[in-house]
Amino acid sequence: MEKVIIIRYAEIHLKGKNRGYFERVFCVNLERAMKGLKHELHRTSGRYLVTAFDEARMEELCGRISRVFGVHSYSVGLCVPYDLDSVYRAAREVCPRAGSFKVQTHRADKKYPMTSMELSAHIGGRLLDEFPQLTVDVHEPGHTVCIDIRENGTALVFGKFERGAGGMPVGTSGKGLLLISGGIDSPVAGYMMAKRGMTVELLHFHSYPYTNDGAKEKVKELARLLARYSVSGRLLTLNVAHIQEEIHAKCAAELNVTLLRRFMFRLAEQTARDVNAKCLITGESLGQVASQTIEGITSSNAVVKLPVLRPLIGFDKEEIVLIAKKIGTFETSVLPYEDCCTVFLPDFPAIRPKLSFIEEEEKKLDAEALMREALATKEVFEL
Amino acid sequence: MIYLDNAATTQPFGGAMAQAGEFVQKCYFNPSAQYGGEASAALKEARASILEKIADPAQFELIFTSGGTEADNHALLACGRRNVVISAGEHAAVYEAGVHLKNAGVELRFAPVGQDGGVREEALLSLVDERTSLVSVVHVNNETGAVNDIFGLARRVKEKNPRCAFHSDGVQAFGKLPVRLNGDIDLYSVSAHKIGGLRGTGALIKRKGFPLQPLLHGGGQEGGLRSGTENLFGIMDFAFAAAEKFKNAEADLARMRELRERLWQLLDQDLYVRLSPADGSPYILTVSARGLRGEILQRLCAERGVIVGTGSACSSKKPHSRVLEACGYKGDVLDGVLRMSFSPATNEEEIVLAAQALNAAAAALKARIG
Repeated sequence: MEKVIIIRYAEIHLKGKNRGYFERVFCVNLERAMKGLKHELHRTSGRYLVTAFDEARMEELCGRISRVFGVHSYSVGLCVPYDLDSVYRAAREVCPRAGSFKVQTHRADKKYPMTSMELSAHIGGRLLDEFPQLTVDVHEPGHTVCIDIRENGTALVFGKFERGAGGMPVGTSGKGLLLISGGIDSPVAGYMMAKRGMTVELLHFHSYPYTNDGAKEKVKELARLLARYSVSGRLLTLNVAHIQEEIHAKCAAELNVTLLRRFMFRLAEQTARDVNAKCLITGESLGQVASQTIEGITSSNAVVKLPVLRPLIGFDKEEIVLIAKKIGTFETSVLPYEDCCTVFLPDFPAIRPKLSFIEEEEKKLDAEALMREALATKEVFEL
Repeated sequence: MIYLDNAATTQPFGGAMAQAGEFVQKCYFNPSAQYGGEASAALKEARASILEKIADPAQFELIFTSGGTEADNHALLACGRRNVVISAGEHAAVYEAGVHLKNAGVELRFAPVGQDGGVREEALLSLVDERTSLVSVVHVNNETGAVNDIFGLARRVKEKNPRCAFHSDGVQAFGKLPVRLNGDIDLYSVSAHKIGGLRGTGALIKRKGFPLQPLLHGGGQEGGLRSGTENLFGIMDFAFAAAEKFKNAEADLARMRELRERLWQLLDQDLYVRLSPADGSPYILTVSARGLRGEILQRLCAERGVIVGTGSACSSKKPHSRVLEACGYKGDVLDGVLRMSFSPATNEEEIVLAAQALNAAAAALKARIG
C-alpha cells in the first residue's frame, strides 16, 4: 500500500485552448515547490499524483503543495491494486471507526467488473460489518471514503480533501512589480496578485542611514516568506534618503509623504520597465492612512503611465491581517523596525492634497537629478 | 575599526580561548563522571579562582550559569515572594524577571532613580517592609554608568528587615570596579563576556548558608543549584579571562577614567550633552546628540569606522530606553542617546579618532536634515 498525494487543480479547466499552457506552468510550479524533497510527479486524467516520497516528510511536502496557486485541493491517499480485497484494506485505513460515512466510487476504467454503485455498496457493507459503530449517511456523511478506479489496474483510496491555495498558476498572468514596505499590507497585496497567476517582482525603498539594516532584513524575510507562494525569489531596493532630505528641506511639511510617494511611483515605474513588469502593485487600502485617500492615490497615479493594481483597496485592516496571518507574513510584518516613512513623518500630513499645490511644491526639487541618484543606489538580493 | 561598545560585549581574549580549548580537547570528560577527575579538578580550580577575586571563598560560593541573565533570573525567581523591591534602573534581566513575578502575584515595587541613573536610597528604603523578600539593585547602571552603593544599601536594607535577601547585578562592575562582597550581599550576578570571556558563561555568587532553590533541575550539578553538564570550555575561558582582566584592574580603571574624560572633552558640546555622571563607572560614557537620533548617528559613525552603542544593546529594538526614561529624560534627549564603552584594549589614539567621527557624524546629519 503506497501513500500518494492526489492534487486537483482549480480554474485551469476553464481555459479552453490554452489549457495545455496553463498545465505546463502549473507543473513547473509544483516541481519548484517540491524541489529538494524526494518525490515523483505524474500527470493523470484531470489531476496530478505525487508518489515515491519520504513519508516522514509528507507533512512538509503537503504544506508546500498547499501553497502552489492553481491547487484546488489535495488528498493523501493509498494506491493499491484494484482487486476487492486490496481496495477494502485501503478503505479501512482511511475510514474512521465510528460515526456516519459513505463510500463514493469513480471509475476511469469503465471495464471494471463492478459499477461504481456496486463497488461502493460492497466496500460500505464490509466496513459496516467490521465496525458496527459506523452508520451510513449518503446525504450528509461525517466522512467520505473515496475510491478512484484507474485504468492501469490500480485504485486510489482516500478520505479527506484538504483545501489548496486556489487561484491560477503563477506565471500565467504576466508580471507586476510590488512596492513592498515591510508592513502588513504589501506582502498580502503581493500574495493576492500571485494568486491570480501574476509573477510578482519586489521593490523596497529604504532610506539609509535613517533606516537600518534590520528594516531591510525584515523585508528580505518577508520576501522569503512570499517566495513560498512562487513570488519572485529576489528583492530590489532603492535608497530614497536624499529625496526625503530634499523634500524635508524645501517643501511644505504636510506634503512630505505625498511627495515622497510620487517619487516612489516614478522610481517604481522605471524599475518595472527594467524588469519587464507590466504594472505596479501596492498594498494601499482606501482611507487607511493619510496618503491612501482618493486624493493621495490620484496624486501618485498622476506621475505614472503603468496601471497600478491595488488588490486591497476595499479591504478593512482586520481582513488584511487575517490573510497576513494565514499566509504567515503577519508575525514578521509587525516586528518593530522603522520603514522609510516614519523618520520624516510630519505631525499633520495633508489628507486631501490638491494636485496643483503638490505640483507647485515639487517644482522646488530637481526631480530628474534626484531620480537618477536614487536609481543608482539599486541593489539586488537573490534570496 | 574602533570598537566602543564594550559594555555590550568585549572581544574575547585569544589566549584564554586557546588555553581552555587545548584543555577540553585533551580532557573532554564529563566533570561529574567517575573518571572525570582531571576535568573536575579544572572546574574546581576555575571556580575558586574566579570567586576569590571578589569574595572570601570561606564566606561565599559560586554557581556557574549560562550568563548574567540566568544569574539574575535565578535570584529573582527563587527569592521573589510577597513583595520585591527593585530599582527603576535595572537591566532587562532583572526588570523582566520582576515583571514575571508580578504576573504571578508578587507585588513589585520600583525604587526611583535620579537623573544619573543611580537609585534614590531613601526612596528605596521606604519601600522595604517586613514582608519584602528581596531587594535587587544593579551595581553599575549599564546605560549611564552610575554606580550604586550596594554595600551601604544592603546594610540599611538588612537593618530594616534582616530576613530580606539582597541581590545585585554586578555584570558591569565585575573585573572593572574594585569589589569585595561582604555578608550583607546575599547574591551577586557576573558575566564572562563583558571582560574578555565568552558569551554563554556567567555566575551567581551566593553567600554561604543563604537558602536558594534551583531553577533548573536535573543531574544535580553545581551543588544541586544548577543542573546541566558543566560548560567547562566556557568556564575555563572565563577563569583565564578574569585572571587577565583582574591583573591590571586598578591601572585600567585609572586609564579608563582618563579616556572617558578625554573623549568627553573632545566631543563638540554644541552637538552633545553628557548623561553619564562624573563619579560613574569610567568604562561608560553616555551622551545625547542634541536634536538628532542616536541610531542614525550610530550608522554614520560605523561608516567612519567607529562602533558605538545606542543605550543598551539588549533594548535596542524598543523605541526608547526604559531606564533613561526613568531618569526623567524626555523625547529629544532619549532619541539622541549614544553609549560609548571602553575596554583595556581601547587606546588614546582611538579615542581621538572616535571623537572626530562622532563630531563629524553629528555635524553631517545636522546639515542633512537642517
